[in-house]
Amino acid sequence: MRMLLIFVLAIMSSCLAAQPNCNVYMYNGDELKYKACRALEKTRGHYQFSRAYQEALDEVLAIDSTFAYAYRVKSTAYLKSGDFITWKKLMDKAVKYDPEEELFYRASCRYQFFRDYAGAIEDIELLDSLVDYDIGYSQNGDYHLNIIKALSYKAIGKLNESLQLFERQLSDSMYSVGIYDYLHLGVLYLEMGKFSLALRALKQQALENDIAENRYYMALVYKALRDEKRYMENIKLAKEKYENGVKMFDPYVEKMDQIFLTDIIDAMKTEGF
Amino acid sequence: MKKIIIIAIALLAGCTRSDQDSKYLRWVGDAEPDPEIDASDFQLCGSEKMVQQYFHFGQGLQYEGEKIALRKRFEEAYRSVETAQSGWIRIRFIVNCQGLAGRFRMIGSDLDYQEQIFDERITEQLLKITQSLDGWAVLSKGGKPRDYYQYLIFKINNGDLTDILP
Repeated sequence: MRMLLIFVLAIMSSCLAAQPNCNVYMYNGDELKYKACRALEKTRGHYQFSRAYQEALDEVLAIDSTFAYAYRVKSTAYLKSGDFITWKKLMDKAVKYDPEEELFYRASCRYQFFRDYAGAIEDIELLDSLVDYDIGYSQNGDYHLNIIKALSYKAIGKLNESLQLFERQLSDSMYSVGIYDYLHLGVLYLEMGKFSLALRALKQQALENDIAENRYYMALVYKALRDEKRYMENIKLAKEKYENGVKMFDPYVEKMDQIFLTDIIDAMKTEGF
Repeated sequence: MKKIIIIAIALLAGCTRSDQDSKYLRWVGDAEPDPEIDASDFQLCGSEKMVQQYFHFGQGLQYEGEKIALRKRFEEAYRSVETAQSGWIRIRFIVNCQGLAGRFRMIGSDLDYQEQIFDERITEQLLKITQSLDGWAVLSKGGKPRDYYQYLIFKINNGDLTDILP
């Protein structure tokens, strides 16, 4: 019973954390923002894509056109429908009015939804220059923003810069490792031809979150090292995990370094030992 | 009595904002049918109000042979165009309960997310290939196949197709 209560409280607190605390605005003497914040109540129960939700947010923004949070939540439906033009206009306003609170969202969505690597790097560096605390995680919680920056550098071909960022972040004793961090690091080492370091990272990933992807890339490393026995073990394990749904997943987009069953089957067909 | 009823109806009409008064459709991104551009034989299985989004099914993009097969179709069919244009092109459409696609709509932007009209040699190719895709999954909810919105975003770099999302 106690555990259930803790669980319910934890869920409730995470839901509450998603919405701003309106009383903070009142405490700071910003009555307009307080009023706008309270008007967010009208969005409750409406789907973020719906007319009612969007109209309620227009009412909120009519009260206070500088309420950054309202622009962000309004932008989400456009993001998920792939309307990058409207999404960016709304997020630019959110960032304009509260860069410290909103840059994390614009940065991580630029990376995740549009593979806008240069834009993500720019936003993360701007955020870093504005705050003196940890810049935090992506909007879906999968990555620390410094890891997104590292992945973005990798995507634009700056592998050494990417590696430096990975190593710096992962050596921080206060850092809580992300669910795919060591997988990406392992793939980066593999792409750089550093096979023993790649294996070390992918084995670490297996300890953190053993998924089809890290077994697939381990198999590729063993193939490069001409170790056929371990190659076969890992490629079979990758297939097994993939078929059981133990793999990278994002309900909206394909992730970096994500694999598909065809990748595994093609690798199994390949001869080369 | 008659006057009271007329006044009440007038007041109610004033208070109730109809769907037509709103600048929004049912959902963000909805595409209303347009007989001038839509194929006449494309039909929804359910009502307009029941069309879902692809991510409502919790499976991500669903295409026969997975995304790798879809990407291959574009790699094989798309021919790079000599132009300095770069940016994103989104083609959004509905997949009906039989896995058939229709009601294709396109937007484009430059790398600063500013609306941009791309060279027709790019957009026509992308639209034609997208319309030829025949591996869309039939997705069900509550045991019943549904109509759903799907989109593809194409990253263009100087006329080359460099990436496909989502």
